[in-house]
Amino acid sequence: MPNPINEVFEAAAAVAKGMTVTLKELMSPTVTENYPDEPPKFEERYRGVHVLQRDENGMEKCVACFLCAAACPSNCIYIEAAENTDTVRISGGERYAKVYNIDYNRCIFCGYCVEACPTDAITHGHGFEIASYNTATLIYRKEQLLAPAPAGAKPPVIAEEAPAGH
Amino acid sequence: MANLVKFTIDGRELEAAPGTLVIDAAKRAGIEIPAFCYYEGLSLQGACRMCMVEVERMPKLQTACTLPVAEGMVVRTDTPQVAQARKGTLEFLLTNHPLDCPVCDKGGECELQDMVFRYGAGESRFTEIKHHVDEKQWSPVVYFDAPRCILCYRCVRVCDEGMGVGALGVVNRGVVAEIAPNHGDHLECDECGMCIDICPVGALTSGAYRYKTRPWEMEHVGTICTHCSNGCRTTLGVRNNQIIRGNNRDSSGINGEFLCIKGRYAFDFYDHPDRLQAPLMKVNGKLEPVSWSQALAAVARKFSDVKARGGNFGVIGSNRTTNEENFYLQKFARQVLGTNNLDHRRSGDIVSLLDALHGQQTALATTADLYQAKAVVVISADLALEHPLLSWQIRANWRHHAAHVYVVTTEPVREDKYSVNAARCAPGQELETLQALRPQLVDEPELIFVFGDTIKGEKVRKLVEFGASLGKPVKYVCLVDYANSRGAMDMGLTPELLPGYRASGMPGLTIAEMLAAEDLDVLWVVGANPLAGASLAARGAFVVVQDLFLTETAQAADVVFPACSAYEKNGTVTNVTGEVQRLKRAVQAMGTKPDLEIIGLLAREMGEAAQLGPWSADKVFAEIRATVPGYNVPLPVILTGGAAQTSPVNGRVEAPARPELIRSARNGLFSSGTLGRYSNVLHSVLEGRRQP
Ligand code: SF4
Ligand code: SF4
Ligand code: SF4
Ligand code: SF4
Ligand code: SF4
Ligand code: FES
Repeated sequence: MPNPINEVFEAAAAVAKGMTVTLKELMSPTVTENYPDEPPKFEERYRGVHVLQRDENGMEKCVACFLCAAACPSNCIYIEAAENTDTVRISGGERYAKVYNIDYNRCIFCGYCVEACPTDAITHGHGFEIASYNTATLIYRKEQLLAPAPAGAKPPVIAEEAPAGH
Repeated sequence: MANLVKFTIDGRELEAAPGTLVIDAAKRAGIEIPAFCYYEGLSLQGACRMCMVEVERMPKLQTACTLPVAEGMVVRTDTPQVAQARKGTLEFLLTNHPLDCPVCDKGGECELQDMVFRYGAGESRFTEIKHHVDEKQWSPVVYFDAPRCILCYRCVRVCDEGMGVGALGVVNRGVVAEIAPNHGDHLECDECGMCIDICPVGALTSGAYRYKTRPWEMEHVGTICTHCSNGCRTTLGVRNNQIIRGNNRDSSGINGEFLCIKGRYAFDFYDHPDRLQAPLMKVNGKLEPVSWSQALAAVARKFSDVKARGGNFGVIGSNRTTNEENFYLQKFARQVLGTNNLDHRRSGDIVSLLDALHGQQTALATTADLYQAKAVVVISADLALEHPLLSWQIRANWRHHAAHVYVVTTEPVREDKYSVNAARCAPGQELETLQALRPQLVDEPELIFVFGDTIKGEKVRKLVEFGASLGKPVKYVCLVDYANSRGAMDMGLTPELLPGYRASGMPGLTIAEMLAAEDLDVLWVVGANPLAGASLAARGAFVVVQDLFLTETAQAADVVFPACSAYEKNGTVTNVTGEVQRLKRAVQAMGTKPDLEIIGLLAREMGEAAQLGPWSADKVFAEIRATVPGYNVPLPVILTGGAAQTSPVNGRVEAPARPELIRSARNGLFSSGTLGRYSNVLHSVLEGRRQP
């Protein structure tokens, strides 16, 4: 047979316990994203719009090996390769991607391309605002994906001092 | 069969002929022994040490590529010691290897990559800095990246033994040993690219294909080379409607892995900027682009008019268009236009040969026969330059079967080097010189005579009589110039002959007579260039040309139709030895149509299509098989990419052979008639040669 006095105390204790949580959360800083008023925060490994990286000289890291395209399950990477010459040097290796497109109509942000890349050229950035009324704009070109050249880097076209081979 | 040797590999009891190498015996039994330097058909090298196996009662591991099987031999390929040896060998091979697979052209089809993946260790114990050498360009088509080379000497051997050129060698020793070209810093050779093809790694790369794509990105289309008459099968690597590479990837067809520079690289004419992309019509004395319907209507109207008033037509066919197109063209000329003024440029006297043989069907050699025959006599031809595949076959026959090769030419040729008798003759004295070889030739158990364009008419007959007088099985190859020179003759593109060498029994003008006839009303040229160095006597003649480029003839035309090249259409061609093979469309060129379709559309425009039948390659080929004697070749063989030899006549050819019209263009390695003029690769090689 339950004691009515005990019941009152137990109820009060439960309310107090609940209120502690409430009050504690009331005092602690808010974690709700204020997007779009403030930029959202991402975990480091969030898989967003890709970024094609450059090396410390500003050269493109991508050597157009087509491995990302081969790994991609949705077949949305399109590459055309070309050879670096002494006058036009785009990447660190012998070959570079003349055309590099990712079709975001199809990309499922699985990260396989990043996994496959032997030169760490393709990475996932944190971009995500790519919704569009026009699907044609969802095919991103190399120019849209490339990271900006680091400050002080030599430009990718260095006619006079291009080293042979590498 | 001699007594078979019994032995065991990995516990499986096997049998093989004495002398079989362990590596071959294992392969036949489905047991893989990894190998780099071993290459079937080339001499043994024993350089790479990749093929180590354990053999019972032998103290050390043995190289399976140099070890013949022996009675009771017990071989193991699956022991820890063998696995360890493979790991070690690969670690050594990678000592200075740059491991730049992501940029290397060979990546994805590299034997070293595959081997390391399957048998290699995960990492290397070498910490030393890798020896680096810069990449070199040896010729417009051959590049060499020394650090990738694993010194298997395959390139050296294929160039020396396979090609008979010997342009590659090895310099230095040890870690700085390197493959080197014959002219110090560059190559002067056949530029065939066989060395690139055979290289198991990406050390030798192709100037045409370098850094363009990766092997798995291409579609591989098996078709037939459009240049010389040898009819090599080639696999075109196609991406985005562009031909990027030519090689015979699956080693299928009559040529196996062989291709010369033209088959491997000179497909590039197809997207030359000068390629015609729209029909042209003469407006106020100038050729202007017009629509297909306008051009077809104008030509059909003219053809109908001239036909109605009984005017004179002249029709000139091609040495490169397909059998279907040639057949359809002659049918159009004879049935619709009612003319027998029909010809093509003749380059070998196959008519005299067939007539002289009258019906001994087996007396025509195949490409494979040249590899098997006990003796081959080459008369009046520089095979290595003019007929590279036939030369390759004969060379392989000499290497593998010690075939006796005889040469009767006016100038020294490459075949001299391995001939038992290389006889020089004065021009026109070939048969007399041949007589002098009789004492040697009568001792041969069998013979193949390969003869060029100076043996024609009566001389062919005399040659056949000479062959018969030896009393041995004798076969013949009558050399002709282009991919379908033989097919043009077989399909009756001459006034004297209908398809299948039946006499037409009607008079008709030859090319020279057409050009000289002042009363010619229409000259219709399909894929030929008769006005190069000649002129048309009939000033007012209406000239219609179907071609890829604005040739001399096309410039003089009233209407020009842009035609497809052989790489852009389906159909069949017949090679120099009478073997029929199938073309498969690899790409589409903007604005062009296959000649067959152009002819068909003209027939439709004239309202005559019904009597010619449908202009689809398959349908026309079915008609050829049904109606042309000797062309009832087995369809499955052709459809699966094989070659089937025709037997075009069985009896006398009841028509004159016209030997006076026969003249070969004698294209060398770097020329190929009109198409050669539009190949940048061939030009770049020739220019490289001209510089001191
Ligand atoms: S994230 Fe996945 S789907 Fe998107 S491009 Fe990379 S591999 Fe393809
Ligand atoms: S991004 Fe990386 S994987 Fe893709 S082509 Fe470039 S280098 Fe290769
Ligand atoms: S291209 Fe041909 S001829 Fe020249 S080096 Fe290579 S294999 Fe020899
Ligand atoms: S270049 Fe290629 S084929 Fe020649 S030795 Fe080196 S690895 Fe072998
Ligand atoms: S030998 Fe003749 S058919 Fe063969 S690849 Fe060379 S040109 Fe073409
Ligand atoms: S394959 Fe046997 S040593 Fe190279």
